[in-house]
Amino acid sequence: MTDAPPSLDQDLRRLEEIVRTLEDDDLALESALHLFEEGVGRLKAAQARLGEAETRVMQVLKDAESGELKTEPLGG
Amino acid sequence: MSGMEEAWSVTRLSRTIKRRVEDDFPAVWVKGELVGVKRYPSGHWYFGLRDAEAKVDCTMWKFAAARLTAPLQEGTEVFVLGTANVWEERTALRFNVTQVLPASGVGAQAQAVEQIKQRLLADGLLDPARKRHLPPFATRIAVVTSIAGAAVRDIITVAARRWPGVELLVINSAVQGDGAPAELVEALEVVSRLEGVDCCIIGRGGGSKEDLAAFNDEAVCRAIASCPVPVISAVGHEVDVTLADLVADVRAATPSQAAEFALPDRRDVAARLAALRAAFLGRMLDQVSLRQQRLQRTRDRMGSALLDRLRGAERRVLLARGRLAPALARHARRPGVRLTQLEARLTPGIQRRLERARATIAQCSAQLDALSPLAVLGRGYAVPRRSDGRVLRHTADFVPGTPFTLRITDGSIAARVED
Repeated sequence: MTDAPPSLDQDLRRLEEIVRTLEDDDLALESALHLFEEGVGRLKAAQARLGEAETRVMQVLKDAESGELKTEPLGG
Repeated sequence: MSGMEEAWSVTRLSRTIKRRVEDDFPAVWVKGELVGVKRYPSGHWYFGLRDAEAKVDCTMWKFAAARLTAPLQEGTEVFVLGTANVWEERTALRFNVTQVLPASGVGAQAQAVEQIKQRLLADGLLDPARKRHLPPFATRIAVVTSIAGAAVRDIITVAARRWPGVELLVINSAVQGDGAPAELVEALEVVSRLEGVDCCIIGRGGGSKEDLAAFNDEAVCRAIASCPVPVISAVGHEVDVTLADLVADVRAATPSQAAEFALPDRRDVAARLAALRAAFLGRMLDQVSLRQQRLQRTRDRMGSALLDRLRGAERRVLLARGRLAPALARHARRPGVRLTQLEARLTPGIQRRLERARATIAQCSAQLDALSPLAVLGRGYAVPRRSDGRVLRHTADFVPGTPFTLRITDGSIAARVED
């Protein structure tokens, strides 16, 4: 459902793919360098996501008349 | 009415009856008394079901009988679920039973639940193929429960421990009582309108069997089935499975477990990431050392090729020198060569002498210049000479009538001695 820029899942999958590709001894140097660059970027992104520390708990309220939804911090 | 010419075959009659009976015959629950119960070695059961007015022959095939919790007892009151079938060979009607529940001890509520289950089943909502997978890394989770209950606190606690970066969107709903089903349905409708939600947890903490009634409600079950994101049911009652549990994509025993299912453990992911990093850097190093090895091999090959060439050239030079040496020695002994060598040695001496001579000449010519008669003539003197060139120095030399030339500084003039 999330369509945010590459999710952690996508980063991890791509990293696994990169590792598999790097196992190929006949990989072109150019490709290896590109993969290295990309891999480092994705490792950083994944690490950053892992470091997100704040759990946000919101309550979704529905307006009785308009039916519109609004969110506010739960217990806030 | 048809004539005798068009008389039907018995087979046609039987098939027509079969079709008329079976087509669109709904699965129905029938209440009656079991009579003439027989179990065959094949595993199929045959029995009659009757009430005060009528009787119907029934079959229960092996696969359906396998789900019986107890053998069928002659004379007991039961509810059976089945459809009408016609056995063509005898044109005999049989009620084909797929489920049997004892009528005594079955509460009205349980029967109702069972009937709802059959309807959900008939609509394919309990089909295992419908079950959706949970996303591996949920970032936004909808939670449908009572904000006053323990379930929401448990979920928040587990989420904060396992995957702190998550956002929980809580939709408050009553989870027990008469109003609960309608509120749950409405809450699920809210979930379907939320954006970016990865999955939904619907549930409550533990309670009595009656407290769980809302999670057996048909409308609630259908709302769960039509939820656009995967639903985890978390009704805190491990013994009883509610219909909501059956419809949900994933069943958790408790709200805490639902949060565990919904979210990965950060430590696991950190370990996976660390392993990936190590593998990634390792493979990268492999790639580099692979190239280093190739380079070294190439260098070695180039080096030895060059050395081979150098050695070849050296050998040829030595060979040539060996052959040239005697020839050179011979050459040096020839006289022409020695002359050339002498000349080379003499040249500097000659040069010096020439220089000296040139200087002397220059000096002499300056002295000669000073002594020149022309220079005297330049001061106004003149030299008279006879035609034979003899200079006339004395008056006796000047015989009247004698011609002579007078040399002056810039030329000669013809002259004659007068009387």
